[in-house]
Amino acid sequence: MLEIPWLAALASCRRDDETNADGFAALTPAEVKSMRAFAAQIIPSDKSLPGADEADAVHFIDRAFGKPFFADIVPVVRAGLANLDARARALGERDFASLSSGRQVAIMRQVERTPFFLAARMLVVVGTFADSAYGGNKRGAGWTIVGCEHEPTYASPFGWYDAHEEADTKHDA
Amino acid sequence: MTQRTYGEGETVDFVIVGSGAAGGVLAKELATAGFSVVVLEAGPWQQPSQFTHDELAVERENAMLNLAFEPIQTIRGSEAEPARRNAGRALAYRRGVGGSSVHFAANYWRFRPVDFKERSKWGPISGSGFADWPLTYEELEPYYTKVDWEIGVSGAPGPFDPPRSRAYPLPPLPNKSSGVLLERAARALGLHAQPSPLAILSKQYDGRSPCLACGHCSLYGCEFGAKSSTLATVIPKAVATGKCEVRAESTAFRVETNTKGRATGVMYWDREGKERRQRARAVIVAANGAETTRLLLLSASSAFPQGLANSSGNVGRYIMFNGHASTFGRFDHPLNEYKGPVASRTVHDFYDADAKRGFYGGGGIDARFNYQPIGFALGVLPDDVPTWGPEYKRALADYFTHSVRFYAHITSLPVASNTVTLDHDHPDRWGRPGLCLTYTDHPDDMKAKQWFRDRTEELMHAAGATRVWTQPILPIDGGVHLLGTARMGDDPRESVVDRYHRAHDVPNLFICDGSNFVTSGRGQPTMTIQALAFRAAEHIGRLARSHEI
Repeated sequence: MLEIPWLAALASCRRDDETNADGFAALTPAEVKSMRAFAAQIIPSDKSLPGADEADAVHFIDRAFGKPFFADIVPVVRAGLANLDARARALGERDFASLSSGRQVAIMRQVERTPFFLAARMLVVVGTFADSAYGGNKRGAGWTIVGCEHEPTYASPFGWYDAHEEADTKHDA
Repeated sequence: MTQRTYGEGETVDFVIVGSGAAGGVLAKELATAGFSVVVLEAGPWQQPSQFTHDELAVERENAMLNLAFEPIQTIRGSEAEPARRNAGRALAYRRGVGGSSVHFAANYWRFRPVDFKERSKWGPISGSGFADWPLTYEELEPYYTKVDWEIGVSGAPGPFDPPRSRAYPLPPLPNKSSGVLLERAARALGLHAQPSPLAILSKQYDGRSPCLACGHCSLYGCEFGAKSSTLATVIPKAVATGKCEVRAESTAFRVETNTKGRATGVMYWDREGKERRQRARAVIVAANGAETTRLLLLSASSAFPQGLANSSGNVGRYIMFNGHASTFGRFDHPLNEYKGPVASRTVHDFYDADAKRGFYGGGGIDARFNYQPIGFALGVLPDDVPTWGPEYKRALADYFTHSVRFYAHITSLPVASNTVTLDHDHPDRWGRPGLCLTYTDHPDDMKAKQWFRDRTEELMHAAGATRVWTQPILPIDGGVHLLGTARMGDDPRESVVDRYHRAHDVPNLFICDGSNFVTSGRGQPTMTIQALAFRAAEHIGRLARSHEI
């Protein structure tokens, strides 16, 4: 038998569903609310597949705010979220999250070239797909979205074309 | 494994700087031959169980590289331009036992006879230092075979392969959907797709696990030991001889020389930052094309004012990275390219340069989609797919499993003004100068990338993709193949080392890594780096035994 010291490695890199903190450390309640609404427009949920909301990308963002490699963009995102709320108030609503989906999209289109939008969108995407240990990608929602089985190992055939390879290559002399 | 250690003040036969693709092989070969060896490795000695599939850490934070970027690197197009800080990867390599052989994709193409004598065959190329190697494929062939069997390479012969003296030790890894589609495309165009040789085990071999198809080869470490890194192969064997000490977290900063112009050892910082000396009867530098350059330049002395082994002025010159060009395609059925090794089939019909193309350049094309979800979601989809909203979501759900890229690996010409130099304005934490890359693609290299992109696009259409898209051809601004900065040659005025890797200027200094490449090959250099290292070890051992060092 092979020695298999790597089983421990597989266990340690397996998805951990229990890592989500209950609370938020860096984001204010108002920021959480706006960020959630924003994230749900970046990768929306639908009947067949989860979105950034189910992935709990906002929890990732909350944690990322405390990580040095995102330090430069924290103030940009904070100001941008406040700006979304200000735009909603100008439309007579309490905040961005309270707007209809259509009006949220309209506001996001107005700001989609700003540094805030690019940074916040990047955070939502990374939060959706990064390992669950970082606080997002809850219950592997990100992997579900892209169709990745997220197993530690796989066996051939991997896809449809290699599964059907023999029929394909029999034409070859 | 406990290893033999050598005390402070002990003089060993060889001190080797670097434990990567070349350093690991040299350590094993020389220690097995009975020589005492100390390997100085700047990075840590990580175990396979420490490697993870954490994309954010590995691909976004470069966790595998162990602070390779701690010294700020700068970049400029020419000497006339101010050097600017490089945000991404200019000179990318891993620090750690096993070096970059730990996180590479493990494509193991041999060079071919033409690679060594292409200058003679093609003629001079204006604006380049195109030259022949001082050795032939035939001379190197036994060592390629040695790599196959000692390291563990899986593969099968293809129609254009150079002659080989022995079959592959292991059959190819399973074909992937990308490989089936590349085969289909090649057949339709009258071309040939052959199994990609990989330094990844298709079966149990030499006490190591076969590949379990986790899909994290490129940029990641293999937690199964199935990827044939020097960490998994020759380094444990070197240590097991009882003659070799691998000293991790030991950063070499100067090769010392005496008044007779001979190397006496290497100065390094240990993990606490304390200055230490390892004396040796001979020094081998195998630190990669960037760090080898830095160490030699920092070893300047009154006897060697331009840097050690640099009377030719060619240390740091002629850096080559290999060009790349590709086309993406989306297919009706799932490919699931995230499973298994990076690539399973390669088209080599365009390996040779052809004057009819109107430029110099050749390469190979493989099929792959080596993206994990974050990298995929941030940068791969066609330009007309929105970057957020329901359509973005639909594309994420569809393209990740249904896409492939036909990817060309291409020659880069050696150009004298493409250099790695010391950057005194950006010292690292030790106070050493950082590294500056000065690089502009040779015009033929740009033409080659365009031409190869067109071939990948034709192949993608021939494969039956329902959607085909490309990304712009960009100039090279760095890379992971660090080739050419201490080139090999017979003429001491034109080259840094001789055909046996001995520095022309210092009789007991050897340099053996990608820096010795005279030409770039077609984009998969590690197989040749290791064949050279096996050959160098044999000759260096012979010279040592006959007291010619």
